[in-house]
Amino acid sequence: MRRLKKYQTGEAAQYITRRAALRKLQLSLNDFRRLCIIKGVYPREPKHRRRAQKGSSDIKILYHAKDIRFLLHEPIVWTLRDYKIFAKKTGRDRAIKDFRNLKRRLALFPELRIDHIVKERYPTFIDAIKDLDDCLTLLFLFSTFPSLRLIPREQSALCRRLTLEFLHYIISSKSIRKVFISIKGFYFQADIKGQMVTWIMPHHYPFKPHSKAEVDFKVMSIFVEFYTIMLGFVNYRLYHSAGYTYPPEIHYEKQADLEDNYKDELSYVSDRIAALNSDLDSKTNEPEEEIEDIDLDLIEQGQNSNREVPREPLVILIRSFGGKVSWDSTVFTGATYAETDESITHQIVDRPILSDKYISRDYIQPQWVFDCVNQRTLIPTNKYFIGATLPPHLSPFVDSKRESYIPPEESGTGNESSYNKDGSKSDENILDAQPEEIRTLDDQQLQVAYMEEKLEIEGDGYVQSEDEINPENDEVAPKELQKRDQEKLSMSVKVGKVHKENKRLNRKNELDEHRLQARMVKPRHRNLFRKLIREKQDKEKEKWLLKKKRRIIDGQNKDN
Amino acid sequence: MSSIKKKRVSKKTKSAWRKTDIKDVEEFLEDQRQEERVGSFAEKKDDELFMVDATPLKSKQIILTEKQRRKLNAKKPLRSLEALTNNSKVQDPIVKRNRVRQKKSGRIIEEEVRNPTKPRHFQANKDRERYYESLEKKLKKGEHLAKSAKDVWAEEDFRDKIPGLKDEKGWISKDLALYVSKNIGKAVIKVHDSIRHRTTKAKKFEAPHGGMSYNPSLEDHQALLAAVADKEEKIIKEENHLKRVTTQMFSKVTPEERDKRLMEEMRSGLGEEDDGNEKDDATPDGVYKSINPPVENKKKSKQSRRKELQQKELQKKQAEKKALKKQTADLNRIKSIKNEVIAEEEQLNDLKKHRKKVELKKKFETKRLGRLKYAEPDTDINMPEDIAGNLRNVKPESSLLVDRFKNFQKRNILPVSVATGKQKSKKVKRFPRSSHKDPGVSFQMLREQRKVKS
Repeated sequence: MRRLKKYQTGEAAQYITRRAALRKLQLSLNDFRRLCIIKGVYPREPKHRRRAQKGSSDIKILYHAKDIRFLLHEPIVWTLRDYKIFAKKTGRDRAIKDFRNLKRRLALFPELRIDHIVKERYPTFIDAIKDLDDCLTLLFLFSTFPSLRLIPREQSALCRRLTLEFLHYIISSKSIRKVFISIKGFYFQADIKGQMVTWIMPHHYPFKPHSKAEVDFKVMSIFVEFYTIMLGFVNYRLYHSAGYTYPPEIHYEKQADLEDNYKDELSYVSDRIAALNSDLDSKTNEPEEEIEDIDLDLIEQGQNSNREVPREPLVILIRSFGGKVSWDSTVFTGATYAETDESITHQIVDRPILSDKYISRDYIQPQWVFDCVNQRTLIPTNKYFIGATLPPHLSPFVDSKRESYIPPEESGTGNESSYNKDGSKSDENILDAQPEEIRTLDDQQLQVAYMEEKLEIEGDGYVQSEDEINPENDEVAPKELQKRDQEKLSMSVKVGKVHKENKRLNRKNELDEHRLQARMVKPRHRNLFRKLIREKQDKEKEKWLLKKKRRIIDGQNKDN
Repeated sequence: MSSIKKKRVSKKTKSAWRKTDIKDVEEFLEDQRQEERVGSFAEKKDDELFMVDATPLKSKQIILTEKQRRKLNAKKPLRSLEALTNNSKVQDPIVKRNRVRQKKSGRIIEEEVRNPTKPRHFQANKDRERYYESLEKKLKKGEHLAKSAKDVWAEEDFRDKIPGLKDEKGWISKDLALYVSKNIGKAVIKVHDSIRHRTTKAKKFEAPHGGMSYNPSLEDHQALLAAVADKEEKIIKEENHLKRVTTQMFSKVTPEERDKRLMEEMRSGLGEEDDGNEKDDATPDGVYKSINPPVENKKKSKQSRRKELQQKELQKKQAEKKALKKQTADLNRIKSIKNEVIAEEEQLNDLKKHRKKVELKKKFETKRLGRLKYAEPDTDINMPEDIAGNLRNVKPESSLLVDRFKNFQKRNILPVSVATGKQKSKKVKRFPRSSHKDPGVSFQMLREQRKVKS
């Protein structure tokens, strides 16, 4: 048995430095970086740096040795090594001016095939959807870039195409749940196959070049390369699950002279939006089903956007809830109907004053659409008229039932939505009897009502099961029928009594419950329990303080 | 008078006349006859007699450059193969033995392409056509995308790809199938789970604070402003603290003041002004006494060594006695010792707990992957002046790309690195070898030129 030397086992054998990994894989640093990003291998920090780095105390970049050994089996390592050989051969051909062979070699450029890596990193479809956030944000961002030195032209075109396809799917599946306009961009949250996917769409500003010190473009470009392929596959699967062909045929055709199209950014953008405005071709011609959850725009409503309004997010939102959009055809392409059309119900304007107005339309500011989406109803448009100071645009990502302070604007406007939510919930979940902790008057009444219903149904169910067990159905049956008849007779609608709530009694009951709970906590959990209670008390105190402040401010305002 | 007397030869007889040399006379007479015939030299003109010679005196000396000379030499047969050549003038008796084949008649490919005669020429032409077609197809781009549309997540068995592995009767077990596929080259590689382990609790998307809306409510915006102000205050406080304990510890003086102080300090020993006071401080006796006298190496005597050893032993014995005493005293002190031990144990437990807590907290934080630490980016917020009520005038704060990049660093995906500037490519000095230079002048050539001249 050979003598064991220091740093042969333990942490030193688990970690490997970047330089050692490069030598093991026989790749250059750029190639290694590319491989790691595509495969999803990231550097790690060890628990004890000196042991892991075999005694040296400077800070090196370390990877798990197991990960690097795994990378050795990867077939794209050969493709990356082929690049160097390719460069050598084509360089030689170019130098001795052998253009025939050069052309032949350029056609055989070694391409990276990443399909199997997507399957490896996301074994199931749901895993891929969970990782869609990053993917979408980066692709939306890169689709707005011009071609830079380190970013090939095809990549941004590919990003554009893929994001457009994804948006079409979102529109047709009506899965947008939340929107938020922030200074960074537009936040969207959609519900895809049960997973919440959030992404940011940037505002449309002219591209600002970043310095190399802030961002490493090459690295981001490699991420985008992987994500484009992933999104391609995700799109394929989503389209097939929704019944469309992939790649989709979008009816809008590009104009004849393509050079004009690519001249400036505006025409890019307008092409995109025009494409968004047209429908997808479906595989089977089934009528689309109405989804009952969302009680929003009726389908015949048309809305017209004016010139300065940011069109893309509006188009997405309006179309995904069943409306129709169009714009001034002289300024942008792809308008489906003219400004003078009579059936337009709303017109979205961002200017403070508008000269000529039609009576049949509501002239509103764009924030109305976003707030509607967040509250899932059509809110009244009187606060959003042109020139009016808009109510604040609140963030929907904040939990509306949270225990911290909820300002009156939010609770005032949110009341309807919470009511709707409760109503819909109670309609759907008949057999689910989970009482909510925060009770309002309405809630309680509803609770009482459906508890009674539940008992009835359960009673019936129980009786029915007894029926099946009991072989003598005939004897029992008429008795049950009689019972049911009696119940039916007694089941008449009576005038209800107003249930008066004894607040003091309720409070006392609550306190007693809490005390009992506290007593039932096991001794080893006592510390944790105490901490929780204290936290809760602190939050309540904060909430009360803020309410008081608000009261004082309002009082002062009233006086003034 | 010549000492050697020439013997006079008589010219009486014919034989005598045969012995003497009459060449000059004959010549003279010939010349006379010729003059009579043709005419004397003096009568003739210059043109008839002489002709200007236009031919060069010598053939022009061909001065070869090094290159040319080397090329000529290269055409000659190699010196090392000289031994193999046959230099003898004797011909080979067997004439047909050494048949030197002349230059091979090569095949002319263009002819084959244009006028194919043999079946293999036709085949070659057909193959070339096919090759060019496939090359054109490869050069055309855009087909790749449509081809690659497939469902990656469809259930696939690796056994389908290798013919012969799927068996209805089930005789080929999964292990055997894996082994065979590995040896064929289409190995199925397991992915270990630790590659997917999360090392951070940071979310991909922080839920945006309400104050970041383009039209925020008053409370949200104020709350966000307060948070940002807090952070800034903390930074300022820390800076002030650092300043206080570093730069303010040192007194600041102007250069003149500093020089003056230096002079004063250096001059402090020399008492030029106060002579009276200084003298009193000097030692009264004139003996020179230095503060650090040199050390003498006195050897220890035997007695002193013995005494030293004894002292040492005594001390040792006393220490032993003391230890024994302490032991007996400790027996009385058992209770307090027990308390001490318990206290130490508690301390250790606390330390353990604290360490565990710190470890747990650190487990999901942003790790230190490279040399630089991760710095949180500033929260972007619109100042109250900048808040635009409408979508047209929203002022963007930070770029989304930078935000995503920093988020990757926060989630331990990318290590924090500093941008390397443009690498200065070393300018390689290129120069032609002296042998490959343009025809210049070499010593050899100069020598030959000199020879030609002279």
